[in-house]
Amino acid sequence: MSLLTDELRAMIGRRVHYPAREPMGHASIRYFALAIDDDNPVYRDEAYARAAGHADVIAPPTLVCETCQTADRQPDADGYIGHDWHLPVGNSRLIRAGNDYSFERPVLASDWISATWTLESMVEKPSSRGGTQLFVQSVARYTDAEGKLVATNRETLVIQPLGTAG
Amino acid sequence: MNHPPIPMTTTPASPAPSSATRVVLRPTVDPAALSPGTPLPGWEHRFTEVDLVAYGAATWDWHRVHYDLAYAKSRKLPGVLIDGQVYGAIFAKLATRWAGPGAFLSGMGLKMRSMAFAGDTLRAEGEVRSVESLASGDQVQLSQRLLCGDRLIAEALTTLRFAKR
Repeated sequence: MSLLTDELRAMIGRRVHYPAREPMGHASIRYFALAIDDDNPVYRDEAYARAAGHADVIAPPTLVCETCQTADRQPDADGYIGHDWHLPVGNSRLIRAGNDYSFERPVLASDWISATWTLESMVEKPSSRGGTQLFVQSVARYTDAEGKLVATNRETLVIQPLGTAG
Repeated sequence: MNHPPIPMTTTPASPAPSSATRVVLRPTVDPAALSPGTPLPGWEHRFTEVDLVAYGAATWDWHRVHYDLAYAKSRKLPGVLIDGQVYGAIFAKLATRWAGPGAFLSGMGLKMRSMAFAGDTLRAEGEVRSVESLASGDQVQLSQRLLCGDRLIAEALTTLRFAKR
């Protein structure tokens, strides 16, 4: 039976916009830098950041693409609170295949970043585990308070069926 | 009855940098001194459950697969899963730490090759892939890889831009 149903096909092209709810913030940046053990002072020291040519401390590059907070919802059964297409696929697991990030400029602590996600494509391919799996490609565009693009994140996730024994 | 005044919340002044304090920037690599094959510094880290929870919290990612072992096993995984986007964050950290404050990370093509779990020790390696002089400045591309033993976990093609000299 094909994973890629007509119901799923009809979702291709869907778009959702998550407006910024607060500035990126010094605390978020410092927290992320701590979590990845990055002691770069450009993420926590305003004087250092200014000396490096920035108006404020900046965020580590990929932080802007981590936008679970923008969805602003209660956790689902998996505990997840971020953006989700809620694709109607049965017993399965979701695996990340890759991300293509492009950055237009460093993101400042003072930036208000909004995210717009678009579901670009879904392709069913054979799996080395037998059967097929579904490759879901989405793109998120992140814009500042003036609506200017600051980053793009093209993301590929794989939905792998777990079978009835799951 | 007179109530005591409500304590006002005051905004503490930012610790303004002293004008006597001179900021010393970390060095920026010289693209002219680079060529394809120039190795990047190595890096190794054993990812613990604490690392996974810290990253999940810092990115508002509360998905159970990153901390709930029973849940992970119900998804037919052997352990709690390291978030794939951690690898992008690590590649970016290593690239920007090596390149210095004069470099801007403008892009990264990140591919996951296999899964890794809490308890795994990951090792980074990489090298300069290309150096290009553009009208706007120099552009350096890096090939970066994360391995667990001999198993490739993730790889990235990372682009750095340097202002015109």
